[in-house]
Amino acid sequence: MAEKKIEAVEPRIGVFICHCGLNIAGVLDIKELVEYAKTLPHVVYVKDNRYTCADPGQEEIRKGIREHKLNRVVVAACSPRMHELTFRRTVSDANLNPFLFEMANIREFSSWCHPSTPKEATEKAKEIIKMAVAKARLLQPLETIEVPVINKALVIGGGIAGMNAALDLAEMGFKVYLLEKGESIGGHMAQLDKTFPTLDCSICIEGPKMVDVGRHPNIEIIAFADLLSVSGFIGNFKVRIRKNPRYIIAENCTGCGECKEVCPIEYPNEWDMNLGVRKAISVPFDQAVPLVYTINKDYCIECYKCVDACGARQAINFEQKPEEIELEVGAIIVATGYDIYLPYDNQLYGYGKYSNVITSLEFERLILAAGPTGGKVVRASDGQKPHSVAFIQCVGSRDTNKYPYCSNFCCMYTLKHVVQLKEKYKDDVEVYVFYMDIRSNFKGFEEFYQRARELGANFIRGRVSRVLEIPETKNLILHAEDMTLGQPIEVEADMVVLATAAIPKKGSEEIARILNLTRGADGFFMESHPKLKPLDAPTDGIFLAGSCQAPKDIPYSVSQGSGAAARAATVLSRPTWKIEPIVSIVDPNKCRNVTAKCGICAERCPYGAIKIEEKKPAQVITAMCHGCGTCVAECPADAITQMHFTDAQIFAQTRAALETNPEDKILAFLCNWCSYAGADLAGTSRFEYPPTIRAIRVMCSGRVDRDFVLEALRLGAGMVLVGACHLPYDCHYISGNWKMKARMDALAPMLQKLGLSPERFRVEYVSAAEGVKFAEIVREMTDQMRTLGKEKIKAENAKLRPILENMLKRKGTS
Amino acid sequence: MPLKTLKTATPKTLTLEWILHVKNYKLNLNKELCVGCQICTLACPKEAIKIEKEPKFQGEKAKVDIDLAKCNFCGICDVLCPFGAIKVTVNGEHILSVVEKESFPQLIREIQVDTSKCPIKCVECEEACPLGLIKIGWMTADGKILEAKPKRKRKGLKVKIDIEKERCPCCRICEFKCPEDAIHVRKFFHGKILIHQEKCPEGCTDCLDVCPITGALYLSEEDKKVHVNEVFCVYCGACKVVCPVEETLELKRTKIIHTPVRSGAWNKALERLASPIEMSKELKAKGSQKVLESVEKRLGWKGA
Repeated sequence: MAEKKIEAVEPRIGVFICHCGLNIAGVLDIKELVEYAKTLPHVVYVKDNRYTCADPGQEEIRKGIREHKLNRVVVAACSPRMHELTFRRTVSDANLNPFLFEMANIREFSSWCHPSTPKEATEKAKEIIKMAVAKARLLQPLETIEVPVINKALVIGGGIAGMNAALDLAEMGFKVYLLEKGESIGGHMAQLDKTFPTLDCSICIEGPKMVDVGRHPNIEIIAFADLLSVSGFIGNFKVRIRKNPRYIIAENCTGCGECKEVCPIEYPNEWDMNLGVRKAISVPFDQAVPLVYTINKDYCIECYKCVDACGARQAINFEQKPEEIELEVGAIIVATGYDIYLPYDNQLYGYGKYSNVITSLEFERLILAAGPTGGKVVRASDGQKPHSVAFIQCVGSRDTNKYPYCSNFCCMYTLKHVVQLKEKYKDDVEVYVFYMDIRSNFKGFEEFYQRARELGANFIRGRVSRVLEIPETKNLILHAEDMTLGQPIEVEADMVVLATAAIPKKGSEEIARILNLTRGADGFFMESHPKLKPLDAPTDGIFLAGSCQAPKDIPYSVSQGSGAAARAATVLSRPTWKIEPIVSIVDPNKCRNVTAKCGICAERCPYGAIKIEEKKPAQVITAMCHGCGTCVAECPADAITQMHFTDAQIFAQTRAALETNPEDKILAFLCNWCSYAGADLAGTSRFEYPPTIRAIRVMCSGRVDRDFVLEALRLGAGMVLVGACHLPYDCHYISGNWKMKARMDALAPMLQKLGLSPERFRVEYVSAAEGVKFAEIVREMTDQMRTLGKEKIKAENAKLRPILENMLKRKGTS
Repeated sequence: MPLKTLKTATPKTLTLEWILHVKNYKLNLNKELCVGCQICTLACPKEAIKIEKEPKFQGEKAKVDIDLAKCNFCGICDVLCPFGAIKVTVNGEHILSVVEKESFPQLIREIQVDTSKCPIKCVECEEACPLGLIKIGWMTADGKILEAKPKRKRKGLKVKIDIEKERCPCCRICEFKCPEDAIHVRKFFHGKILIHQEKCPEGCTDCLDVCPITGALYLSEEDKKVHVNEVFCVYCGACKVVCPVEETLELKRTKIIHTPVRSGAWNKALERLASPIEMSKELKAKGSQKVLESVEKRLGWKGA
């Protein structure tokens, strides 16, 4: 409604020019700018202020809107990254739609970076204002979109991180579904004996927490179940889950274990790292929550002895089938954890080949009192206690051929094992630790390392190059280099324990696919921002906790669980969720998918926010759209529009920038988050560079349509620059920069073929910290432009122009 | 140590193993003893055992394969093999949990020998046993055991008969051959075997070639065809496996003599080894009314 009203009315633009004390006025001729602004079409009111962002300055804007019936406002001041939101609120206070506001950045982009050439700086500032006015003329009012929020949460993974997230949310009063793939919650922590550096018994501290989760009225544990699909968006996710059959009726099972007693069949217990066995009807460990038994039909012979033992309780049902359920939640926390690498493929250490080579997690099950040996550390080969144990660190981790990252907690758990062995068997056991570095940062860790050393363990700095077995005794010979002595050494040990890497959980790929998460090169889930959004997944409403993001120890995982719960609560605690209206909109009349098979937009959308059905126009799920504009640039039919960054608006800016002397200018398209911020920083840092550049801000480099480049060249631009976030992971829209790169990699050779000098079109990756780099790029491009010379540029342009005009005909530009 | 699952084959044995840090499961198939009767194949609850190649001539052995991924070392094959060709051990001990926990019965090999009736010089049973399971020894008055027959008569000498019971299919040949009625054997498989002579091809002796019991099948001089002597047949079914003409050799097990159990696994094994009818008969006899009802429902006999 508002839109129609505005369109009907002639634009009445007010321009407010800020002195910013002397920050702007000290370099630029404000009077000249004011006079210039008055000459621009549709500008009906121009006012300069000492500080526009201060209260009096803001009041001037509100007054201007009221008294001069302004329906568009341009503030020429600092960077929009600084005060765009401030002024949007200001115009909104004066009953003007906040999206009818535009900023002209004449501080960071002019006064601050061209202080020694005030005349040229003023000329540049004029054009910056002109560009802003050109865009302002075409601005449309936008309404913030609100979606209702379902105030329930899904936590995926019942390890210590997921349990904490669930408990915290439940305590805040939200209903939580805790989905667990295994039979019981507890995760890896429930497998451990003691915890470092305090040596608390792991299950003694985790067990009560598991019980709390199991009993909490707001938590529903869905264990032994798989995540099938997730659809919807923040506040409104639909989740499909398959509950796998336990062949036990959970409500009837009392967990008494009488069935287990009569069961004749045993199979290797994965929970025990297959060191011991469990019954075909059993729980993986005694403290399991929910305490419901499970029949493993792969091994069960169906003698039905358990049915007899269960008797009147009638908890056993061999006919149980998988059951699919659907949940609706407002937020999702992913806490799927990690796996331990089993180094079968590593020939050096003989794992899987020599009986007395085990992993640390296997050692953990051996030394655990409730483990398969009742806490006795014994060798597999003869059942005897080892008199010497060698620990090898960084097996798989910090290995460029395997997993280049550090697995975070291995140093500390090995120290724990050393202390446990030494305290249990005293001088009866000799302990060797082969390490690269002992990483004992964090509270109490270094002291713990000291304790292990004082107990008389031998710490040998150096890589073990080979482990060999003595066939008669099954003892192991370790060949290593002692870096402290600087010579090769040989150690004989009764047992070798490998501290193997923590690796992404099996099935992470599937979870990533279902939830549209991204995974790093190491396979762990990527957070939205490594510093400022460490708990957010790139998809709104989905959060990460614990080792699914990278290996973490217990306190860190607990903190992340609580943190993710707090993040989820920011969504769940509201009745509705507001979505920025800078989203993509498909024109169903133009969309090719109606007549042909297209779907390019859906394929390129980094968020999976576009739905494609055969013979129907593409459909943007507004709540999932992040407003990067990649689809808009990719659409072969120009059927998609990005609100607030329309093709028409950007073309208008381009034309305004290149109206006079285009051959002397660099036209730049800069992404908001990195390259524009880098340019801001060049200004803030007062890095001076030639005033040749005219920048157009887009949210993401993915928005930069090849038509933008073509149009700039058609209009005669001397140089064209596309600025983006660094590859591979810096893009704030997951992969918009990659989409831009692919597009421009195809465009550049084509332009060269048409006769464009290669240096005239450039793609650069500039981070928000690289002000120096940005200034350097502008200097370099300006030099190149001058070396080429105006005449050559003009000649190239003349040759290109008819071809470009032909290419841009459909845009109706000429 | 991580779990090791091993399968090793030699010309004479096939061995499957689960080696865990604290436990060791082993299944050993003695190929020499296997007659290829397929009792194990039928009975295995995990359908892990397959006869890959049937024997085709006398002395050839069946090629048996056991799937390591399916086998759960329950030992049912061990319990049921009439010839004791399969042995399942846990930590080296031949104690089967399915038997201990009464999840599966044991076959009853009822063999009674009254050595007091044995004439000192008689070795009829030892010579008669088709599988060579009987060993005759002599015990002197002072308890010494002599392996060879004493040359001269000694006072107080007693005959001692050792029978490898685990491997005995209870064919009763020894009983019949015994001149003194000193041995009594009861079969554990009861049933019926019939060769339809009109279909049986002349000159084919496939069934006879594989039959482990000498005399249970014989080639008739008259019609040059194989005939049955039911008295000695142990109903193992090796003959039926190899018979080249369908529906020529009919073999049915009607009853299996075993220790008493209540077990679904046994019911299923019985159903497959004998027939659903035999199984339901046994359930009726045991008074397992509820199980019977569910079985009858499953087989569509009643109230489906």
